[in-house]
Amino acid sequence: MNSRIKEHPILGKIEKGRRVTFSHDGNIIEGFEGEPISAALKAAGVMVHRHTQKYGAPRGIFCAIGRCTDCVMVVDGKPNIRTCITPLAEGMIVETQYGVSAKSTNKAEGMA
Amino acid sequence: MKRYDLIVVGAGPAGLSAAVEAAKYGLKVVVFDENANPGGQLFKQVHKFFGSKEHKAKIRGFRIGSQLLEEANNLGVEVVLNATVAGLFQDKEITVRIKDSIQHYKGDAILVATGAAENMVPFKGWTLPGVIGAGAAQTMMNLHGVVPGQKILMLGSGNVGLVVSYQLLQAGCEVVALVDAAPKIGGYGVHAAKLARTGVPFYLSHTIIKAEGTDCVTGVTIAEVDKTWKTIPGTAKSLAVDTICLAVGLSPMAQLLKMAGCIMEDNPKKGGQVPVCNAYGETSLRGVFVAGDVSGVEEASSAMIEGRIAGIAAAEYLGYIDKAVLTEVAEALESALSSLRQGMFAVENRGKNIEKTDEGYVVSQHLLKKGYFQDAEVEKYPGVTRQPGVHAVIECSQNIPCNPCQDACPRHCIKIGDKITSLPVVDETANCSGCGMCVAACSGQAIFLVNEGYEAGYASITIPYEFLPLPGEGDRGWALDRGGSKVCAAEVVKVQTAPVFDHTSLLTIKVPVAMAMKARFFKEDNCHA
Ligand SMILES: Cc1cc2nc3c(=O)[nH]c(=O)nc-3n(C[C@H](O)[C@H](O)[C@H](O)COP(=O)(O)OP(=O)(O)OC[C@H]3O[C@@H](n4cnc5c(N)ncnc54)[C@H](O)[C@@H]3O)c2cc1C
Ligand code: SF4
Ligand code: SF4
Ligand code: FES
Repeated sequence: MNSRIKEHPILGKIEKGRRVTFSHDGNIIEGFEGEPISAALKAAGVMVHRHTQKYGAPRGIFCAIGRCTDCVMVVDGKPNIRTCITPLAEGMIVETQYGVSAKSTNKAEGMA
Repeated sequence: MKRYDLIVVGAGPAGLSAAVEAAKYGLKVVVFDENANPGGQLFKQVHKFFGSKEHKAKIRGFRIGSQLLEEANNLGVEVVLNATVAGLFQDKEITVRIKDSIQHYKGDAILVATGAAENMVPFKGWTLPGVIGAGAAQTMMNLHGVVPGQKILMLGSGNVGLVVSYQLLQAGCEVVALVDAAPKIGGYGVHAAKLARTGVPFYLSHTIIKAEGTDCVTGVTIAEVDKTWKTIPGTAKSLAVDTICLAVGLSPMAQLLKMAGCIMEDNPKKGGQVPVCNAYGETSLRGVFVAGDVSGVEEASSAMIEGRIAGIAAAEYLGYIDKAVLTEVAEALESALSSLRQGMFAVENRGKNIEKTDEGYVVSQHLLKKGYFQDAEVEKYPGVTRQPGVHAVIECSQNIPCNPCQDACPRHCIKIGDKITSLPVVDETANCSGCGMCVAACSGQAIFLVNEGYEAGYASITIPYEFLPLPGEGDRGWALDRGGSKVCAAEVVKVQTAPVFDHTSLLTIKVPVAMAMKARFFKEDNCHA
């Protein structure tokens, strides 16, 4: 499945920054520098960005303009980063957020 | 603390128009917008706009946005992006969040043009990844070049739902269903018709029962509702989709004004809670103005005019111009505004059941329910004539504020007259050259060229085409009717693209003459047809 539009009938070729790699829950993924992290994840087929604190329910992109906070993830160790308005950079470490932290980085949380 | 004559909140069409107008009179103006891109809603719109030439009709939304920005820049307006205005206080002070810092500014006058936010509607499973707002779909595909999904259900048949569905098709997605609980399509018939002819099915009087899936959307269940909005047992059906897109209306974003202490009113016709304001957009607080969707959800064309009026009013308030100048300029703008606010979709007509056009033509119920005309209905409209040679067939049947077709025709074949909401009429005495300017200019893609004398036994039909890949001359396929069903084999005999057509290609297909008034779309299929 390819979600990137190669050529658009009205917009033509969509201009993108340089190709970069970043990690998502340990997997290396490609994206374009400067595009929202969420766009790169979407293009790679990632749907779930976080699980809610209370019920562990999955959340993903909803508003895409930084208003709803459904898309927040742990980015470079910092939780609650709105991935739909945060530009992608080379080597970023992006992790699915569980409640308010990443599963892998916070053992205490994982045991609770 | 930095001081400006006029602080504008929001760089959409209303805010930018106000800034431009005020700067023309010499005011020192700054515009703040929380987005990374200026233009508000316009920036995401790739379709040709409705309205009239003076209000940039026929131009694609994103270009209107960049034109306004350029005008603003040329006049020395400061536009600050990625800047969220978090507070507005009675003394016209604002707080702005830029990156991680909060900054304070003071304006002698303030204009709030924050636009509107999307409404949401809960149903079972609505928080699953894959359920998104229509605005999010636009942001993803038109700004970032990533489609939100492959198979999509659109909820909402207002103009936003219709326009975004079409944009999804252009991005290469499949729109599996367009669903609305209302019994009639809420947006313009021409927007619905351009979807229907590609085969998108409309489910009016239907609602979503639930989104299916555990980690993300894998399907959806819809069911029919009765007049009291209750689901009818036994009507549930499941559709395989990976995305559910919500386009269920917009509400004015007037929190800042409320916070500042402006007198507010609840007005369902304006889309919710809005500030009370006078004809110049001035609120109950002297020197605090509003314009655009924040003062009542409407259109970009009206937002631009309201913005200009408020910009001039701010100049008058600060003593840059006389009251007499304001009254004179505003009067002309207000009359333009009221001409746009006529017709079936005017605010005062919302929710009404309109059975006839201003001219007395019966409104097609089939169009309102299925998104397209029945064959027999089409020919009664004044834009549809049968003539021996090539001529325009205009399938535009509602009183909407739109007239680019009239301006487009160099031979004066198309007449709307002074009233912008009147139906376009084809003048049979004028001599159509078949140039196609009208086909490309029509914002609703409702104009076709028909030539029933193309060749013995065959007619040619020219249709507007905005998809990729673009078929080539000699390609074969199927002609689809207004409802998107195959009616006959067809061959492409001409493909025209030109800078003046602005990315709308004109595809001329050849079909048996009996299909001249049925065939309205082309689907390529070189193997079978
Ligand atoms: C899919 C779709 C299709 C449309 N098609 C048409 C059409 O064909 N013809 C037509 O005339 N109209 C059309 N419209 C309507 C038109 O886009 C809107 O009516 C118009 O954009 C309203 O302009 P505005 O300036 O009031 O608000 P907006 O365009 O919404 O701009 C408001 C701006 O304010 C900013 N903002 C909000 N709050 C803050 C804050 N606190 N701090 C800083 N900035 C803030 C926002 O980021 C935004 O950029 C369409 C709309 C949609 C959604
Ligand atoms: S094809 Fe050209 S001449 Fe004919 S109606 Fe359209 S614009 Fe006018
Ligand atoms: S036919 Fe004319 S009035 Fe109707 S949608 Fe097209 S351009 Fe607008
Ligand atoms: S999707 Fe809403 S904040 Fe990112």
